[in-house]
Amino acid sequence: MDHSSEIEIIYDKQGNPHEVVDFNDDYQASKLGFWFFLFTELMLFGGMFLVFTFYFYRYTDNFLEASATLNIVLGGINTFVLLISTYFLGMGLINFKNGEVSKAKVKIVLTIVFSILFLTIKYFEWMAEIHHGIYPDSDILNAKESGVILFFGLYFTMTGLHGIHIIIGIALMTWVLILMNKGTITTKKYVIFENVALYWDLVHMVWVFLFPLFYITGLGR
Amino acid sequence: MTNHETLTESMFIKVFFALIGLTTLTFLQPYFMHQDLQNTIAIQMFIAVIKTFLIGAYYMHLKYEEPLYRWIVLIALITLSIFFIITSFDAIFRNSINDFFT
Repeated sequence: MDHSSEIEIIYDKQGNPHEVVDFNDDYQASKLGFWFFLFTELMLFGGMFLVFTFYFYRYTDNFLEASATLNIVLGGINTFVLLISTYFLGMGLINFKNGEVSKAKVKIVLTIVFSILFLTIKYFEWMAEIHHGIYPDSDILNAKESGVILFFGLYFTMTGLHGIHIIIGIALMTWVLILMNKGTITTKKYVIFENVALYWDLVHMVWVFLFPLFYITGLGR
Repeated sequence: MTNHETLTESMFIKVFFALIGLTTLTFLQPYFMHQDLQNTIAIQMFIAVIKTFLIGAYYMHLKYEEPLYRWIVLIALITLSIFFIITSFDAIFRNSINDFFT
């Protein structure tokens, strides 16, 4: 499916032929399209934060009580892990644009390692909750007050959706590595890498709000 | 691809340390400055907004892009604000004397 060697001709109203340049390889359009996708992502997570805010306002005491039970150390470590991972990916992109391909590849691998570390910590955190019988629709959780049920429902939904984004991010970064090795992503044509880095920054940005809202508010009692 | 001004390595590292500092502040704020709930949330959200601004401007290159990209983000924020403002009326005035449905 390599269109780069084909010559496409279009004609204007006077019938004059023009060669189509940038066929299937429009840098601005690729990035603009990705920003529209990021717009929908902001709406998706924004809607969830809206639900969180609404119920936080209506069940403040329950939310604070539930928030205080979360493991702030694990959540805090994960905040730093994700920040360091965005550093590596962003730095990798700068290296790549400067032509330092092998440096960039190492940084992508490091980003993947930190992403897996994030998921591992998240796994232990979730398992601790589940061992206490706290998971959606469990008998122990259902016996609690409705605000606590809502808090943990939102906790598992929002951190879960965020976790799915991390998994997708790992897949995308692996794909970027494969495309680099195949020569599809080059130091002159790197918009896919750039878009994946944008995606990763958005995933980080969501966590910037998730962490204080879920973990820190419980300390503010 | 006209890259007039781009993000430099040194700027990227500076922003990283700023983010590390702000994240540490997020983590330690409730221990150091023990505040009531409203102030805690206000301080926490203020830090989160500054972090988001730094990530958007530098890590997502919005500072160096054409204005169109900043508009996309701005429109997303305005749309979300409208949702939040409309819903806040429901949250605050539900079950009050003016509620038509009670």
